[in-house]
Amino acid sequence: MSAALFSRAFHRAVLHGVLLITSLATVFPLMWMITAAFTPNDLITARAIRLWPEEPTLANFAEAASRHPIWTWLWNSILTATLITVGKLVLAVPAGFAFGRMSFPGRRTLFWFVIATMSFPTVLAIIPTYIAVVKLQAFDTYGAMIVPSIPYIGFYVFYMRQAFRSLPSSMFEAARMDGAGLWRQFTEIGIPNVLPAIAALSVISFMGAWNIYLWGQLVLEDRFKKTLTTGIAAFADLEGADRVWGPLMATSLLSVVPVLLIFLLAQRFIVEALAPGADER
Amino acid sequence: MRISLRRLAPYFFVGPAVLSVAVFLYGPLIASAVLSVLDWNLLSSDVSFVGTRNYAAMFSSVDFRLSAWNTLLYCAILIPAQIVLPLLLAVMIHAVRRSPLQGFYRGSLFLPTIVAYSVAGVAWSWMLNPVNGLFNELFGYFGFPKSRWHTDPDLALLCVCLVTFWKTFGLNMLLWLAALANIPPELREASQLDGAGPGRHFFTISLPLMTPTAFFISVTTLFHVLDDIVGVIDVLTHGGPAGRSSSLLYFLWQQGLQFFQFGQASAVAVIIIVVVLVATWLQFRLGENKVHYG
Repeated sequence: MSAALFSRAFHRAVLHGVLLITSLATVFPLMWMITAAFTPNDLITARAIRLWPEEPTLANFAEAASRHPIWTWLWNSILTATLITVGKLVLAVPAGFAFGRMSFPGRRTLFWFVIATMSFPTVLAIIPTYIAVVKLQAFDTYGAMIVPSIPYIGFYVFYMRQAFRSLPSSMFEAARMDGAGLWRQFTEIGIPNVLPAIAALSVISFMGAWNIYLWGQLVLEDRFKKTLTTGIAAFADLEGADRVWGPLMATSLLSVVPVLLIFLLAQRFIVEALAPGADER
Repeated sequence: MRISLRRLAPYFFVGPAVLSVAVFLYGPLIASAVLSVLDWNLLSSDVSFVGTRNYAAMFSSVDFRLSAWNTLLYCAILIPAQIVLPLLLAVMIHAVRRSPLQGFYRGSLFLPTIVAYSVAGVAWSWMLNPVNGLFNELFGYFGFPKSRWHTDPDLALLCVCLVTFWKTFGLNMLLWLAALANIPPELREASQLDGAGPGRHFFTISLPLMTPTAFFISVTTLFHVLDDIVGVIDVLTHGGPAGRSSSLLYFLWQQGLQFFQFGQASAVAVIIIVVVLVATWLQFRLGENKVHYG
């Protein structure tokens, strides 16, 4: 082996070493969560470091379910995340189509009006929205959780516009020749050809909505109405050694598994949507 | 009739999106500006105009000044970290892009980004737990003194930085990776023929070609850092001990939704909006003529 080849192999080995250690350190807190969810609670508090549960048990899940309605929380999470996703798509897909494929007065202004909201910190809108929710007597309803979470669509509109713009115009001209109106061009030509983009946005939206934390914690107070991510916060209120780590980890795991599965199944879509080109070799 | 309907059609498509954004995102901003000059709490019916009194009360508040100072510290630590470290990781992953492990590295490093703040808070409050947490157990094993981590006034802010970084660096890493992937490979070969090493190649060719991404990342990272620390503070420290890890947005959250001081909280909101707008404007002024669009 020549010196140059050896130096290249050495460089690669160092790169892989650094990346491997960084990757493992990054996922470690989540790995530990999985381990702890299946480890008896008294063992967790006795010693922190373990890579595998010594006495695997499902007791933590049963214990968590007896303390809190975690299965109801799971259902609430599915319900709210699904409805928020549907809402975002209903708003963003037609808007993206019009911004991408139609010309009309005010298009540029309206587009920037919507896109600029990408830069709004979510906390800024919280106080007036909270007052409105209370005044409308919508406190502690799913509507209060879902409706104000939908309009954060800046990125979605931007992304759908790109998707519709990348379709060839000839497609739509042919449909127009056949006498198809705008609505038919949208539903029969537009949507079927941007399904990958819609899929990517659905996944991103669902994961985001699943993890809504601050707003949910504020407007959902009834313990049967909470979602998993807001319920966990109530659960975790006990400080330090008093915490019931095992059941808490079991519930946390329950909240991670669905997004984790979606992420693993749709990783290519997500990477492509957030960073087009990252997957090219 | 048909023609006017055709003309109106685009507005039916964009109308719902524009209206919802106007009502739920721009509306609250305007409402904040109005609330900031009123004295009103949700429970009473009397509302009075107080002019700039809410602003004055806020500026003289010690908690406000502490959280403003903390916000500067957060930005000074997290913005460079969120830009440079993901770039380093992306360059490393890009260098091993033909390896089957590439997907594993990228997936693992992106993973924390999809986890909820409450879950991140639970995992990290165990690792940092002063009584029987992982960090202290490891420290004890190697004979170091135990630390109080996020419950130590001097370390709380750094702990929030650490967890925020862990939770959010994946997005910027993906964006850098995409930028690296879009650099034409011919350029690499050309610079290699000219005798440029990998370091020189990176600084003279890759980085200038990635300036649009760099600009995008530097603008969005500011918003994200401001937004993301709120979730982490809420699950990890609640702004404590004694306000030492609070930020402006968390101060707003507490004033408005724990103490129901809507006027003062809205004054904070208005100040944040102004600061964000000025910072964005400055970034565009300073950044745009340095950006190279290929």
